[in-house]
Amino acid sequence: MGKVCSFILIAFILAVSVSEVLFAEPASLDSEKIGNIPRDERKSPDAWAKVFDSVHGFIEAAYGPKFSGDKLTQKNDYNLLEQRLQLKVDYRPQKPAWLASWNPEFFYKGDLLSDEYKETLRYQIREVYGFVSPLSWMDVKLGRQILTWGTGDYLFINDVFPKDYESFFIGRDDEYLKAPSDAGKFSVFSRLVSMDVVVIPSFTPDVSIRGDRLSFYDNFLGRIAGEESSRIFTEPAVQPKNTEIATRLYRNLREYETAIYAFKGFFNQPVGIKNESTKEVFYPKLAVFGASIRGPVPSVGGIASGEIGYSDSLQDRSGENRLIENSGMKYLLGYERDFPKDWRIGTQYFVEQMLNFDEFKTNSQPGDIPRDEFRQLLTFRITKLFWLQTLEASLFTFYSPADIDAYIRSRLTWQANDRWKLTVGANIFFGKHDWTQFGQLEGNDNFYIRIRYSF
Amino acid sequence: MKKVLSFLAIVFMLFVSVFWTKNVYAQDTQNGKTAMSEMLLAYYYPQTDAKSEISMRIVNRQGQVRQRRLTMLRLNQTSGGDQSYYIYFHEPADVKGMSFLVLKHPGRNDDRWLYFPAIDLVKRIATSDKRTSFAGSDFTYEDVSGRALDDDGHELIGEENLGTQPCLVVKSVPKRQGEAEFSYRKFWIDKTTHLSLKVEHYDFKGKIYKVYETQEIQTIQGTPTITKAVMKDLENERYTEITMKNVSYNVGITSDIFQERLLRRPPRQWIGE
Repeated sequence: MGKVCSFILIAFILAVSVSEVLFAEPASLDSEKIGNIPRDERKSPDAWAKVFDSVHGFIEAAYGPKFSGDKLTQKNDYNLLEQRLQLKVDYRPQKPAWLASWNPEFFYKGDLLSDEYKETLRYQIREVYGFVSPLSWMDVKLGRQILTWGTGDYLFINDVFPKDYESFFIGRDDEYLKAPSDAGKFSVFSRLVSMDVVVIPSFTPDVSIRGDRLSFYDNFLGRIAGEESSRIFTEPAVQPKNTEIATRLYRNLREYETAIYAFKGFFNQPVGIKNESTKEVFYPKLAVFGASIRGPVPSVGGIASGEIGYSDSLQDRSGENRLIENSGMKYLLGYERDFPKDWRIGTQYFVEQMLNFDEFKTNSQPGDIPRDEFRQLLTFRITKLFWLQTLEASLFTFYSPADIDAYIRSRLTWQANDRWKLTVGANIFFGKHDWTQFGQLEGNDNFYIRIRYSF
Repeated sequence: MKKVLSFLAIVFMLFVSVFWTKNVYAQDTQNGKTAMSEMLLAYYYPQTDAKSEISMRIVNRQGQVRQRRLTMLRLNQTSGGDQSYYIYFHEPADVKGMSFLVLKHPGRNDDRWLYFPAIDLVKRIATSDKRTSFAGSDFTYEDVSGRALDDDGHELIGEENLGTQPCLVVKSVPKRQGEAEFSYRKFWIDKTTHLSLKVEHYDFKGKIYKVYETQEIQTIQGTPTITKAVMKDLENERYTEITMKNVSYNVGITSDIFQERLLRRPPRQWIGE
């Protein structure tokens, strides 16, 4: 209860300062007074002011109580209670001349997180990289960075980069769905075709759901588990041979964006079992080959996209090893359209096909999670903006007719002014079975509220 | 016989007058379209390329102010035809670093992409509705990048001085009624610069509800350029002031830069900071 009080206190302080900001900026049409003075003249040329000026970020307080829950996790009443400070700074040196000619940029973004759920104070570097163009047709980005490609909306086929689903499910900002990679990204550009090559020397897995904050289906226990889940995770060693490589070749054909992808590395989820008796799981080797296209739909309007990927499970190509995920095909079709008065809808149809399904069935043992050859997933997004785009209401639904489960993600974001943002939302899970993707999360339904001040 | 003659004379006169009015009307339409086309060229297409820093102050009924600061690059692919736009947001803080790429094709939907640096996401934006607000301001996307000439019928309805400036007054009516939120607009187009000095928007009841006014014109590199303007929403008692700074033309923008790369790596030589 003390946590709730501290949250309310913080919220109150934030609210008071909101009202201060709101009233502190009187406006008049007579813009000659303020509006017309160029910013640079308003600021002192002081060097420290300049440094301070280049630092941006936000502070945020977040609280996410659980609806009722299954009382299996570390804290039973809530799964989100934290305060966060994010700072980012951008530096573009003009000297020495050889470097300046490469148009260098150094970027840092870090979060200081006071996580009352975990009762820790954590410092996380989200991004820290150098970005240069050694040649007019080449960019190199080295360091910790967020990597994204592909066409899906919250669904990923060729985007093999790490995700943080825990953040996604408990109500953190969408930014935190993407986890950073320590990588080098080499890009070359030409009129014919452009290419990205991403080299990731040290494997970064998805942030796994481990039962401490979100309960899930633990296949070793054969039921929904929380804190008592005791899986042991083994990550691939940092060795040259374990370097992950992801590439994308892309070009626009008229208004259509096309791309092909290739990846060699590891599954981001621990879909391999090393030792059943000691509950040891690992990240098996994986290769992915795929393609995507995206562009406008003639006459009807809106944007359609299609993406396909073949996942080659390199340590179980025959599908006979029941302890390692099989190879598979993934297919995605998407469509998004806007309507007058700031309405926007999007829908996706996603199919995951397990290859070597017969081998899977033959080798399955009692207690293994039952699977279908085809798993279908539908998503539906609806967004509407109000009050001159300062209030956004959005609803995102995942529904799987094959698994008979669903996940509803609703959110209301109010941009009170240029600095203050208030977000409330809910994450609700449904499922017939305990072991399906969303069904296993049923005990984690939550509501959340976030208040953010950006600077 | 007399009666037949007088009847014929009346018919002839009617015919002539109808023809004459029709012709005059056609001429007004032609003049209206010419004036509008000159305005579009003067406002959206001057020179080959342009760079400008745009500040917007959005003020609502309660007097609360929101600020937007962005840099815009524009390149004409053909005069009066296809254009490429790139917009980089500097302020407010929560959208800093976001960028926006528009390939404008009069006659069909634009191609638009938005880049979110925090998640490294290049998002394709559906563009069926061009009448949505631009960045939460009282300006619409169409106000920023131009409405196609042929989307409206244009009629020259008079000449009027606005202050000391002689202007052509043009009434523009959407050809597909209901496609825009106005039933028609009235433009005051400066005879010398061809820039619009005032635009009134009328709703379907014929009531004026939105007014655009040019507040300052500067001649930059020989080109008369609007450097300050306001869009007032009379119904909701809101307005947005827009100020253009550091405008320069022919800075050397080339068409090959308008690609995904531009979104992920902002061109610092033009956008600074």
